[in-house]
Amino acid sequence: MMRFVAQRAIWGVLVIMSVVTLVFFLIFVAGDPAVTILGPQARAEQIADFKAKKGLDRPVPEQFMSYLGLMPCIRKDSPKYHREDGSPGFCGILQGDLGESYSHHESVARVIGHRLPRTLLLASLAVLFELFIGLSAGIFAALRRNRWSDTAIMFATFVGISLPTYVTGPIALLLFAFLLGWFPFGGYGVDPVDHIYHALLPALVLAIAGAATYARVMRGELIETLRHDHVRTAKAKGMPMRQVIIKHAIRNALLPIATLVGLSLPFLVGGAIITEKIFAWPGLGLLTIEAIESLDAPVIMAVVLMFGIAVQVGNLLADIAVAALDPRIRLG
Amino acid sequence: MLLLIAILLIAWVVARFPKAPLGPRYVGAGHQTPQPGGTLIFSAGSNIHTLDPHFAYDTLSTAACRLLYDGLLDYDYDGNMIPSLAADLPTISDAGRVFRFRLRDGIKFHNGREILADDISWSLHRLLSKAIGSPGYPFYKSIVGAPAYHKGEVERIEGIVVIDDKTIEFRLDEADQTFLNALAMPFAYPLAKEHVEKLEEAEGRDAVGRHPVGAGPFAFSGWERGVQVDLERFEQYWAPQARPDRMIFLENISADVASARFRNGDLDIIYRPSKVNRLFLRASEPWAPYRAEAPSAAVFALGLNCELPPFDNVHVRRAVAFAIDRSKLERLDPGQVIAAGQVLPPMLAPYDAELPEKQTFDLERAKEQMRLAGLPDGPAQPVTLWVRGEGEVQVAQLFQQDLKAIGIEMDLKMVSFATYLKETGRPRVAQAAFTGWHQDFPDPSNFMDILFHSRSIHPENSENRSFYRNNELDAILDRARAEVDRALRLALYAKANAILARDAPWAFLYYPVDMFAWQPYVKGFRPHPVWLNEYRNVWLDLPRKRVSQAIYQDEAAP
Repeated sequence: MMRFVAQRAIWGVLVIMSVVTLVFFLIFVAGDPAVTILGPQARAEQIADFKAKKGLDRPVPEQFMSYLGLMPCIRKDSPKYHREDGSPGFCGILQGDLGESYSHHESVARVIGHRLPRTLLLASLAVLFELFIGLSAGIFAALRRNRWSDTAIMFATFVGISLPTYVTGPIALLLFAFLLGWFPFGGYGVDPVDHIYHALLPALVLAIAGAATYARVMRGELIETLRHDHVRTAKAKGMPMRQVIIKHAIRNALLPIATLVGLSLPFLVGGAIITEKIFAWPGLGLLTIEAIESLDAPVIMAVVLMFGIAVQVGNLLADIAVAALDPRIRLG
Repeated sequence: MLLLIAILLIAWVVARFPKAPLGPRYVGAGHQTPQPGGTLIFSAGSNIHTLDPHFAYDTLSTAACRLLYDGLLDYDYDGNMIPSLAADLPTISDAGRVFRFRLRDGIKFHNGREILADDISWSLHRLLSKAIGSPGYPFYKSIVGAPAYHKGEVERIEGIVVIDDKTIEFRLDEADQTFLNALAMPFAYPLAKEHVEKLEEAEGRDAVGRHPVGAGPFAFSGWERGVQVDLERFEQYWAPQARPDRMIFLENISADVASARFRNGDLDIIYRPSKVNRLFLRASEPWAPYRAEAPSAAVFALGLNCELPPFDNVHVRRAVAFAIDRSKLERLDPGQVIAAGQVLPPMLAPYDAELPEKQTFDLERAKEQMRLAGLPDGPAQPVTLWVRGEGEVQVAQLFQQDLKAIGIEMDLKMVSFATYLKETGRPRVAQAAFTGWHQDFPDPSNFMDILFHSRSIHPENSENRSFYRNNELDAILDRARAEVDRALRLALYAKANAILARDAPWAFLYYPVDMFAWQPYVKGFRPHPVWLNEYRNVWLDLPRKRVSQAIYQDEAAP
């Protein structure tokens, strides 16, 4: 088990490294951050000053090594740039320093510190909704197989999987916020309870596709499991149907769902980019869009890094969860 | 068949959709006296640039600084100057050259320290220093020694004299009553010295704008750039009044989103809703008590170059002023504009709705003026109007037809804003230009001196872009600027206002109108003639109660 985790972790780090490298160089292809941040009216000396302050005037490979923390700090506005004894300081990601945002005038860690909890709130609510709605609908449909309610649920899941959040989001806003007035029209709210209230509608929208997928998977698995010998045996021993389903059937059917949830985490964050934009939810997703629009390189890099880690951790957790649920799988 | 059923089903569902909210979703609890508490939420369409008053020159930064900071002087809802941190209006001596202020007792910064005359002086020194480079400097250069200090030649401004802890005096090079208006601008709001110095040392110059300590009715509690500014009530503010506990100023909320949020009850006050929502709010009966439209302190016009033919002839200019049918604009965008016939906007004294010389649409008089000019059939050559963008092209096209009626062919020339500024500021370049002015402070001089005094004509970057020269007007404006007696001043400006309407260096077009709406539980808000978003006196009638939209339908029914 440990060996498997270690292998996967090393593999994950390699993937993240390559993504970070690729994006770092892509930003320089996309344009000049200094010009984008300072605007078209900026004078040449302002741009030069900005570049010197951020180390953007150095060769790109040096910038990259410094960003990683393998070469001395080249950002003149960083406290690590000068050391008391004159020896160079480091200010890269290996030192846990994500740099300072160009457009927020704050450390990237602080900017993300603001945003990450909001995205996590949204994503965790969405997972809850996905599981609750998806599993109940799936079980319900499986137990009423081929009746009209099963057909209706399967049709609904088909629609749910087909509709992207940029369609369902605005419709939900219009219907449930503007016309019915049940939810706020986007935004984040002013206190913790208000935050959750504001998160409900975007989380529901974010959960639609996942819930529909889970419902279909759950239905299929459950129907399959109900045919298995062990279920038939349980039934034959006179176990109440309710217990048979809960103890024997559902537990088995949950296996692929666990994998799916783990694999879906990065997609939740990805989907959150669009959902956050639609609902003006100031989380990581919205931050990503803003950062890309303004070529705020340190923020883009940090977000890529975080998404990379999220994907890898999600996959790892999915594998571990499957192992824990299925006694036949032994890792390592 | 199945398809048909599906379509019918969808149509049935859609028909049963609830309607968009017709009126407010929430009403107040019914308190008659101001209540403290609650959170006021309002928004803006773009970013707040800074919370440092020494850099606040745009409306959003100003709106936020108005809550965080306070100054010696302020304006009431009639546009009159009133003391704020000052105990009273200043005593004026030396023929309007010296202003002495006494500070109010018990005024404090948010860090709890009392504000002294030294703080006022120190803040103005920061504002006017070369190192800071504030855009506010030109408004204060009449203080004795300010230009030398700004250039870095001297250590202190001679004309700012701290008499004692509570008294400060300003000495000017020449009598200028608009200096008081300058002191009422957010540029002159004092900052806590010890806080600024500590911050600037630790985090650099723009740190002050990120973590301000002022003397306003609300103290800073957080700013997530591009998302929102959080403020909390400052209990020791000198004017005790029931105010909300918190204020949240949301940034980057587009007009469409803000309008939907407002109608949904998520925003407490809205300013400049999107067009469709503006039309809705104007027509809506339930919203009628909770909305207001007010002209903003600005005027738009066709600037006519008085040095270039045919507009060097006053009769041609007057003909243009009479030929323009301004009601077309009011019809094009109902409620968004008011026809203008003089330079002063309606809220600024001595505006005169009945001004005999005011420019109005009158085709006969226009033709009469063309005859007087000796051009009954119009000039031989078409004239060229410089415009800055599509919006102005649309407006100008409305009037092309009107000018054709008096024989003037008008071509449009669209240029970038930068080109426009550069070229129209040079003599004898642009024959006519779409132009306008937003006031910096509520005084007629801010319109007339800057736009029409011959002193504002330069080889480059003229502010007087119609190159109008009139010795009589110059003399009136110079006298008015120095005149201490307010009634006399206004009489002089009234005279100048009439001259400008008659001589028509600008054919005035319209005053833009702003719309505001607020929730029924938001009390104490009304448009302010000077400050665009003025929330200092707002209180919330909480807890708010949700009301069914059905009551509005009942009202609409016969």
